[in-house]
Order: sequence, then C-alpha cells, then structure tokens
Amino acid sequence: MSEAQAEQGASTLNVSRTGAKSQRYRDVLIALIAFTVLASLPMLTSSKFLLDFVIRCSAYGLFATSLNLLVGYTGLTSFGHGMFFGLGAYGYGLVMQKTGVSIPVAFVATLLITLVVATVIGAICVRLKEIYFAFVTLAFQMLIHSTILSWVSLTGGDQGLRGGIPRPAFLGIDLSNHLHLYIFSCALLVIGLLLMRQIAQSPFGYTLRMIRDNAARASFVGIDVYRAKLTIFVLAALFASVGGMIMALFVSGAYPEFAYWTISGEGIFINMLGGVTTFLGPMVGTVLLLILNDTVTRFTEYHGIVLGIVILFFAIGLRKGLMDFAYEWYAQRRDRERG
Amino acid sequence: MKRTRTPGISRRSTLALMGAGAATLAAPWVARAQAKTIKVGMPTILSGRVAQLGTSSRNAVMLEVEKVNAAGGLAGRQIEMVIRDSKGQPQEAARVARELVNTDGCELLIDAEASSGAFAVHEVARDLGVFCIHTNSETSSLTADPKQHIPNAFRTARQGVHDSIVGGSYAAAIAKAKGLKKWATCSPDYAYGRDTTAEYVTYLKRFAPDVEIISESWPKLFQPDYTEVVTKILQAKPQALYSCLWGGDLTSYIDQANIYALFGQMEVFAVNMADYTALTVVKNLPKGIHSGNRYIKTYPATPENAAWGDAYKAKYGEYPTNWSWENATAIMLIAEASKKANSADGKKIAEAMKGLKIKSPFGADGTVTMRGEDHTLIGYAIGWGTTIPQEPYVPQVQAGDWKTILELEAEWKKSKGYA
Repeated sequence: MSEAQAEQGASTLNVSRTGAKSQRYRDVLIALIAFTVLASLPMLTSSKFLLDFVIRCSAYGLFATSLNLLVGYTGLTSFGHGMFFGLGAYGYGLVMQKTGVSIPVAFVATLLITLVVATVIGAICVRLKEIYFAFVTLAFQMLIHSTILSWVSLTGGDQGLRGGIPRPAFLGIDLSNHLHLYIFSCALLVIGLLLMRQIAQSPFGYTLRMIRDNAARASFVGIDVYRAKLTIFVLAALFASVGGMIMALFVSGAYPEFAYWTISGEGIFINMLGGVTTFLGPMVGTVLLLILNDTVTRFTEYHGIVLGIVILFFAIGLRKGLMDFAYEWYAQRRDRERG
Repeated sequence: MKRTRTPGISRRSTLALMGAGAATLAAPWVARAQAKTIKVGMPTILSGRVAQLGTSSRNAVMLEVEKVNAAGGLAGRQIEMVIRDSKGQPQEAARVARELVNTDGCELLIDAEASSGAFAVHEVARDLGVFCIHTNSETSSLTADPKQHIPNAFRTARQGVHDSIVGGSYAAAIAKAKGLKKWATCSPDYAYGRDTTAEYVTYLKRFAPDVEIISESWPKLFQPDYTEVVTKILQAKPQALYSCLWGGDLTSYIDQANIYALFGQMEVFAVNMADYTALTVVKNLPKGIHSGNRYIKTYPATPENAAWGDAYKAKYGEYPTNWSWENATAIMLIAEASKKANSADGKKIAEAMKGLKIKSPFGADGTVTMRGEDHTLIGYAIGWGTTIPQEPYVPQVQAGDWKTILELEAEWKKSKGYA
C-alpha cells in the first residue's frame, strides 16, 4: 500500500508484471469501495455539512496529493502549486460564463489551458533545483495572481468572478443539485486519486523516485531527467486544476485568493500534516486540516494560535506526518513480530 | 479474500447507526418546533488586517440585538446571533455561510464580508434562498447589476457611486472657488482604489471641466513606506490631491507626508479620513484635510446619533466605525420589517423590507430607506468637511444632496448598461 513497502518490493527485484497487475486490480477495487462508501453517505445522514465537507476535501485532497507527486515522489518542493488550483477555478469559471458550453467541454478546455500554461512555466522552472525551483515557482504564482488582479475586464479583479457560474445539466447530472454535485466531486476525487496512484506505481513513478534520490545517477542510466521532471510537473498541475474546478463549482465563483501563495502554503502544510512517504498521506492531511479548521473556527477567532501549535507539534514533536508516523509504527511492530 | 466471518457492520452497530441517522434527520424538526429563538448567522472578518472592522461590526450588531430582544424580539422570537470568522477568504466565507444555515439552523444571514467575500456569500444566498443582508461591501455592482439581483438579498452598506458623486461635486465647488486646476491622485492599487478614483475624477471633471490630472500614484495595498509616492507628488506640484487610501495605509501615509510638509502645499481630499479608526491613530492630524464622512458621532448633528455613538463607546471603550453603523442599520431594518410583516420568516421579512423607510440615527433626514427596485440603502447621511486635530475632528460637514445623487446614479446605471 505504501511507497516504502513498494520500494522494499522493488529492491528485491520481484515486481513482476503479474504482481503489478494484481496490485492495480487491488487499487481499482479499493477505489470502487471508497466511492461506494462515499456515495452511500447521503443515505445515512441528512447532514449537508458533511456533504460540503467531503466536497471541499475532494478539492483540497486532489490539490495536496498532486503536490505530493512533486514534493514526495520527485523531490521538487513547489511553493507555487496553488497557481494551478487558481487557474483551474478561473479557467473553468470563465469558459462557463463566456461561452455557455456544456460542463464536460468546459472541463476539458480548462485542462487544456492548464496543460499549456504548466508546460511553459514548467519548462522554465524544472531546470532549477531546490530553493531556486521553489522560489521561481513562487514567482510565477505571484505573476498569475497579479495578472488576475489587474486584468479586471476579464477576471473581475480582486472582486473575483461574479454573477455565479452557470451549471447546466448534462447527461442527467444537474450540478446545481447539492447531491449531484456531491457525487460528482466524489467521483472526480476517486478517479483522480486512482490515476495519481497509477502514475506513482508505474515505472515512470519509480523513475521519479530515482531522480529524487540521485538525479546524476538517473541521467547516467540514460533517463532524460528534464523531460521526466517536466512531465510530472504538468501532470501534477492538471490534477491541481481539477481541484480548483471542484472549488469553483462549490462556491459558484472564482476568487484571486485561490491563486494566492497562501493556497500553496496550505498544500505544503497538508503534506507536512499527513506525511509525504505514503500515497494517502496528503489525503489524510487534508481531512485533518479541514476538521481542525472547521472545528477551531467554530469556537474561537484565535484559530491561528491553535493551528500554529499543531504545526509545532508535528514539526518538532513527531518530526513527520501522521501517516508516516503510523506507517513506521506499523512496520516496527511487524518487524518485531517477525524477529 | 477468503474469510470465515466477514467483519462487516454488526447488527448492533447497524441499529445504532440507524438510530443516529434518525436522530440527525429529526433534529432540525425538533429544534424548529421548539424554536423560541431565531438564529441569525453572521460571517465576518475577525482575524488578520481588517479584524478591527469585523469586530466593530459584531459590536454594533450585538448592541442593536440587545435592544430588539428587550423589546420582544422578532415577532416574539428572541434573536440569537451566531458570528464566525471567515479570515477574509471568500471560500471560507462561503463555507461558513453554508454551515451557519445548513448546520446551525440560522434562518437569516448578515453578511459582514468585504470585497470578494460578499460576492461569495451572495452566491450562497442565491443557492440556498436564505434571507441575506450585505452590510460591508460598497462595490456598486453588488446591487446595481441586474445579473446579481436576487429577491432575498439586500445591502445596508453605503454604495461606491454615491460617494463619488458627492465627493466629486463637493471638490468641484472648492476647485472653482479656489482655482484648483492641477490635481494629483494617490490611491491603493486594487479594484476599490482604481474604480473609486476613476469615478471620483469623472464627477469632479463633470462639475469642474477645466480640472486636469497631472500625476497618478498607485501604492500597493498595505504598503509600509510611502516616501517615493510623497516625493513624486511634491515634484509634480499639484494644487490638490485626491486619495482613497484607508485605515492603516492612510494613517501611515499622513504620518510620512507630514515629514515633507505636504499638507501645507496643497488641498488634500481623502474620502476615508473621517472615520475614528483613522482620526484617532494619526500622530499629528493636519488641519484642513477634506474628507467624506464614514462614521462620526457629530454628523448627522442629531442627539440620536450622538447618543448612539456614546452608547457604543460606553460599552466597548472605543468609537464605532463605518462598518458599525452599516451593521446596526441591518438589525434595525430587520426588526422593523419583521414588525411590519408580523413574522420572523425570511421570505416575509424580505417582502416587507422592499421600499421600507425607517427612523435612523444615520439618516440624512433622520430616516433611511431600503430602495425596492435594487435592494440597496439610500438616504443615509453622506457629506464632506474639513478636519481639525482634536475632537470633534470634523466640526462642519456639508451634506450631500440626495436628489442630485439619485439623478446622477440613475444616469450612471444607464451608462453601465444596468438600467
């Protein structure tokens, strides 16, 4: 299930084709079960709050997991990943408002826009390493944010995209119905996670880990490091963009805050919270952060202090994310039982 | 996958789950049946740079709610406020607003958000059909644009275009009297700053056609150092300066411009000066800055307004802000509309509120009106005056004429394609 486990398998050179295939079936099965559970949730509870919560989890979860493809798997710590979240929200909102096409068409159009922008930005950024990469991505994020602010005639400036985003029904799905929107978001989340999982477990995914651990060695083996990095940068951007689209659907608008650096910061924080060594770490982090945020803001406006203490606890106390911690604990116990 | 006993959900936990489900389903009904109180939700900004304004909104609302509750509440139901922080983020504002309605059972919303947050809450009101009053967003299009219009949303905040009309005509009169032809502007670089300045200049030029803008500065929002802006303006040697900087930005600007003795060299028009958050913070408030009123207890110069400002100060230890009166007005209007409809139901209140005229300490003639056609507040006190360094800070305020305001507003709406 976890990357560390899988790496262990890889190190013994036992990842046969059949093994990979059975793992893929298992992933699909887990995804199906997860979707069924989520989809049956509205039958168990009438709480709209819970449904809202899951919709937001889908948006942030896709965003944070895609960031982990860069941070955890490739070692590219992007400080500007939020720009693609914002781009998704604005791209989708603008296409819907200006052209009046159907929702699936707007979705594909937004992904194409993201593809182009991410390829251009990625081509410049992934040449750089470490802190330089982080800061250039941050710079591009601020460039996109400033563009949104100043291009008032198109984006509405700092007031955001106003007047609501139309949600015409398609294929019997009516996204202005809360339940339909919920199921739709769950489906996007599960499909998105499944696809990212396949990327992470593919030979390409292992190439990324190799680049992370030793890029020089990877290029000596004959891997085109630049191309691999650019590919994952663009792929991650596409998933972040889907997250942004879900958010735009949820709030029925797009706001410059979606493309601000604080969104990228939240992504990094979610990854710290959940852990970067397991695939589902960021998803767990998302759920944790949103629960924390929602409960703490209910009781106090000094939520900054509470969240700060939690960060300190994870950074100084645990020194790793929750899923990392859980996985290590599990591995230790297993080893002890074996030993 | 073969197991003798699949660890599914046991009968006991199924029953428990069903019970919990039934309880959740029933809870709103039970709660509503017992409802003596009516919950009013209010997302606002209680943390970050504008927290002071959010807090002053909350204070004003609580001050008025106490009065309404003491007088019997809304159609016999006591008001219970549920106020939450949105951190000034639109997605949080939308989430909080939905949570207030869906989970906390709030039947009315007071949207004390600024800028983009107000538009996010507006979409929630559109979605859920819940009654909503925007109290802080001055962006004209929120109510002027027919695309934004929904039957359940209102606004008690002042409107940007009203300010520009009054400010422009006031400045034009002084420009003519004193022969001020060369003007400079200095406003924050975001939508509010750009739009407000453009509209102000439009009306200034309309009333005084020979005015010329010779220099424009656009400092960043929350910029700490204004030296380059101040020197740029001084070099351009204008006869008058317009600025819509506000809050901390305005006070730092004045403190820094004072070092260069800028205020002695030109007439300064700062629309957001006459608010206690700015007036009481500036170190040496120069004499003679022209400003629009935001909230001051001496304008309108009525005992009701003074009493309201003093009651607020007595309770919270500081003077109210522009956001305070706007939020207080929302509660006053809800109370009056509920009385008129003899109901606390959001739909009936909305119906009764259309065109409702109420007595108000903040009215230009002692009353304010919720205009029926576009659901925005008119008739509130609006005027300009000049500052002095101590209380009452702006002793003489020249009132704006609502007849002119409404005529020019209608014209402006047409030019924007809104009417």
